[in-house]
Parts: sequence; C-alpha cells; structure tokens
Amino acid sequence: MSWPVADLDPVRRLRALAAAIPGAYVAERVIPAPFAAVWAVAGDLEKEFGTFEPDMRRLTLDSARPDGRLVARARSRYGMRARFDVDLRPGWCWMQSRFLLVGLAATAVPEGTLVAQTGGVRVPGRAALVPWGVRAAGDRALARLAARVAGRPV
Amino acid sequence: MTPGLVLAAQRGDTMAMNDLLTELTPYLGRICGPIALDSGPDAVQEALIAIFRHLPDLREPEALHGWARAIAVREAVRIARRDGRSSPAELDGLPSPQDVERAVDIRDVLERLPPEHRAVLVLRDLEGLPEEAAARLLRVPSGTVKSRLHRARASFRRAWQG
Repeated sequence: MSWPVADLDPVRRLRALAAAIPGAYVAERVIPAPFAAVWAVAGDLEKEFGTFEPDMRRLTLDSARPDGRLVARARSRYGMRARFDVDLRPGWCWMQSRFLLVGLAATAVPEGTLVAQTGGVRVPGRAALVPWGVRAAGDRALARLAARVAGRPV
Repeated sequence: MTPGLVLAAQRGDTMAMNDLLTELTPYLGRICGPIALDSGPDAVQEALIAIFRHLPDLREPEALHGWARAIAVREAVRIARRDGRSSPAELDGLPSPQDVERAVDIRDVLERLPPEHRAVLVLRDLEGLPEEAAARLLRVPSGTVKSRLHRARASFRRAWQG
C-alpha cells in the first residue's frame, strides 16, 4: 500500500511561480495538437523561439553549466543583446536575464496541449515585471505559437 | 536545500525561485496528495503560491520545510473542502469493516475520511509530528488531534489487516 502523491504539471508550476512576481500575467491557450508536436516548436529555443516570442529575434545556446543549467545569448528585434540563464526541460522553460524574464509551460490535456506563457521586462534586480503590455504580449506569443504548430505563417 | 537558495529567492532571483520550486514540489506532493486526493495538483499549486508570496517573511531559511509543510497542510484541507469531494466530518460516517475489507489501498480509506482527519494522519503518521505540534499547526486543541487520529488509525488498521 502506498500513500497518494500529487503531481504538479508544468502549467500549474508556471502559475505558482508567476504569482510570486508582481506585474506578471499568465497567458494560457489550448492548442489542438499532441504535446510532442507543440513542444517540438515551443522548446526549440534556437530555431523556433524567435518565431513566436514577440521581442526575441535570435537566441543561441552558449554552454551548459555543470548543474544542467543552460546559458543563452539573445538578441531582441530592437538589436539589444541579453545573456540568459535557462532551465529547459520537456514542458518547461524558464529564462532570466538582468532585464527580461520569459516562462513557458505545456501539458497534455484531453483537447490537445495546454500552453502557458509569462514574462516581460524585469524591474532590475527584482522578481517583478514592468506590467505594461504583458497581457497583450503573452496572448500574442501563444497565438503565434499555435499558428506555428499548425504550420501556418506567423 | 541550502539556505543560500532561499536567500537568493528572497532577493528576487527568479532562477533561485525556480530551483526552490523544483526542490519543494515533490515534498508538497506527498503532503497534499493524501489530504486533497483528486484535488492534490490544485492544492500543490495553491500551496506554492502562498509559499512564494510569503517567502520574504521567512526569517530562518533553515525552517523552510516545516514552514512550507504548515502552509501546504492548510491549503490542502481548504482546497479539499472547496471541491467538496469528501463527506462531511461526521465521525459516524467512518468506513464500515465491510467497506474497509474492499479497500485495495490507502486511498480507498482516505476517501472515507474528512480532509481534517487526513491531515492529522499525514502529520502524525507520515511526518512523525508530535501531537502538540500537529494541533498547533492545525489550530485545534490537542484532544481533537488525538480523537481524530484514533478514529482514522482504527480505520487504517482494519484496512491493513483486511
């Protein structure tokens, strides 16, 4: 006999982490496609991330640290560069630079895949986001991701 | 867990918060699962939200697990009550010997107990907390913990022996 154990799926995990970040908004959307198909796009930071994250043009994974954490260099659409610490696992991506935060999560649901996104411009040195525009940016990122998964132009 | 991780999370490093989440989640899953049952994932989520919102108030990083456990137990009871999947806390409604004999695992027995009784079982039998500490955490008199535990254990014992 064993005691029941509760699991935390990546989307619930994202909601929990975002709740601790003032200014953060969690956009959510169900994409009618299997988890593997969705994460093949969402989790491909170098080839796909820039196609759906509004401010991200190019992202290059630099090195993996001994603790498994990745380091990435990113360039925004406006030419700014950033160095990100990245935690990337199936269904989960959390990225932090000095000025930006991006979180992405996905979990299988009966209708397909539930995806969630949060992020924006960071209040320097704090776990807080400048709240302007985060809602529209999050919804737009997931709409682009859904279109990308469906193979439509974004 | 290193106290440094808690301190970094308190200072606003979201990578540290992410790592702390990774570390706490399995533990909270073991606390919330037996209390909230089907609502366990929601209970873990709500517990983590409460934990991270109040993390700046935690003065002793070494006390993290005990502090998180208290929050998780209360959130699990609240969510289980909210979702109303449990029977009212009527002690007369504890499982009959026939019901218990049909039980194939702990879950079958837990489902027949109200969330407050499940919380007592988790704190005393899983976490090994003394009666007084469990009563303080649940904000009930020590005698209440004792009687809940007695009845909950009796139904468990029958299940194990059945």
